[in-house]
Amino acid sequence: MLILHADCIGKEYRKEGHKDLVFSSFSVDVHMGETVGLVGPSGCGKSTCARVLAGLEKPSRGRVLYRGKDIHTLTRAEWSQFRREVQVIFQDPVGSFNPTQTIGQSMTAVLKHVHVPGDEHENELAHVFHHVGLQMEILSRYPDQISGGQAQRAAIARGMIMQPRVMILDEPTSALDVSVQAQILHLLTYVQKEHKIAYVFISHDIDVVEYMSHTIVKMQEISCKMKK
Amino acid sequence: MIPSIKIARKYALSALLIGIFVIMATIPGYIAPYGPSERFGGYQTPSTAHIMGTDDMGRDIFSLLVHAARLSLLIGVVSGVLAIGIGVIVGLLSGWLGGIWDDIFMGLTDTVLILPKIPLIIVMAAYLEPGPKLLIVTLGLLSWESGARVVRAKVLQVRTMGFVLSARCFGFSSAYILSREILPVLFPVIVPKFVLVTASAMIAEASLSFLGLSDPTMISWGVMISDAFTHSGFIRHMWYWWLPPTLCIILGVCAITSIAFLYEGRTRELIQL
Repeated sequence: MLILHADCIGKEYRKEGHKDLVFSSFSVDVHMGETVGLVGPSGCGKSTCARVLAGLEKPSRGRVLYRGKDIHTLTRAEWSQFRREVQVIFQDPVGSFNPTQTIGQSMTAVLKHVHVPGDEHENELAHVFHHVGLQMEILSRYPDQISGGQAQRAAIARGMIMQPRVMILDEPTSALDVSVQAQILHLLTYVQKEHKIAYVFISHDIDVVEYMSHTIVKMQEISCKMKK
Repeated sequence: MIPSIKIARKYALSALLIGIFVIMATIPGYIAPYGPSERFGGYQTPSTAHIMGTDDMGRDIFSLLVHAARLSLLIGVVSGVLAIGIGVIVGLLSGWLGGIWDDIFMGLTDTVLILPKIPLIIVMAAYLEPGPKLLIVTLGLLSWESGARVVRAKVLQVRTMGFVLSARCFGFSSAYILSREILPVLFPVIVPKFVLVTASAMIAEASLSFLGLSDPTMISWGVMISDAFTHSGFIRHMWYWWLPPTLCIILGVCAITSIAFLYEGRTRELIQL
């Protein structure tokens, strides 16, 4: 089932009177429970594309459709659902958490946001932390007091609280060392199998993308789609 | 342990001075030997009864000095709160909303920035009733622009960071993101800005009082210096009249400013996010 579709999207920024084209005419289909790999060299617009797919930026041209509807014409209720169901995991795991808040405070804010009653917070956190292989003791630590691997697991756990249908993974392992990379990739595979989440996996590392993806799209050859 | 002792030592003198001024401002009746309007013989030299002598109207100068702390600090702090409050709101909205709103808010900020403050206050004081309220409102309304620019620059930097993008992904409202995610990160730049605005408001109050543009019945350190100047304190070489309020202003401003710099130094890592 098609869940997310980018229809010839492009993005450009206006700088001092002239237009700076980041990428153009990019199309992709994301099906429920599948992983689409997005690969390309640095600077080709992968992260910008991720933000456009996640609805964090408007495309300059083309449309992003979620469950068949243009995400920038959704009603308030539909937009809330889209925001719950489409999550992004960023490249810098530590930077994904507010440096002035403990990991616990960041997690609790999301639980409150999805209206989980206060007395269930601990159980909910224990459940998702067990899922991603984290100890509860990191809840009292600040982001700069945990490792990159722990921060990325915590970011995945926080995303899981929202019970997403699509996760956009923007170079989720590039800031981690090789052994931790493998653990995070295994974790992502396990989470996908358990929850049937669709992934858009972005990386400049073709080997990692090939390992993770059902379909691969190369950004420098935007029109070219390869089926594994 | 050792670094924290070093930091405590750095803060100690400034904190001690601010502590003394705050005590003077909050409970002047327990420190000052006389009330601010009690009168004795005029132009008395320092003695055991009046350790800093008396002014032209026979008021005890030490008692005036203690009672004046309240108004000087109040004008400085409330102006600082008002200025930084406006600056933070304008900076946050300008940096967050961007586009036309950024142009409007920054245009307003640049306009306030180029206004000559002291001449404007002189004109306002000439037409409106001079007094603490006018000084607080005027200094507050004319001192927010630098805070707004600093906050806007920081918001522009922070708004594309992972934790803000994550908050947007979770569907938090703009108000929530600004108040709970971005504002706490800005504290290391807001706090020093606030104390610097407070210090400059204290100087501005003293300058305006010295120029005779404040309510002559109010008691502040600036008014005391002005009184000494206009009522023969300088000609009579009554240094014990004008020097103590001058030193209080200098020490107060230095203490507040040094706390700001020390705070900024400690939080540099967060500032450089």
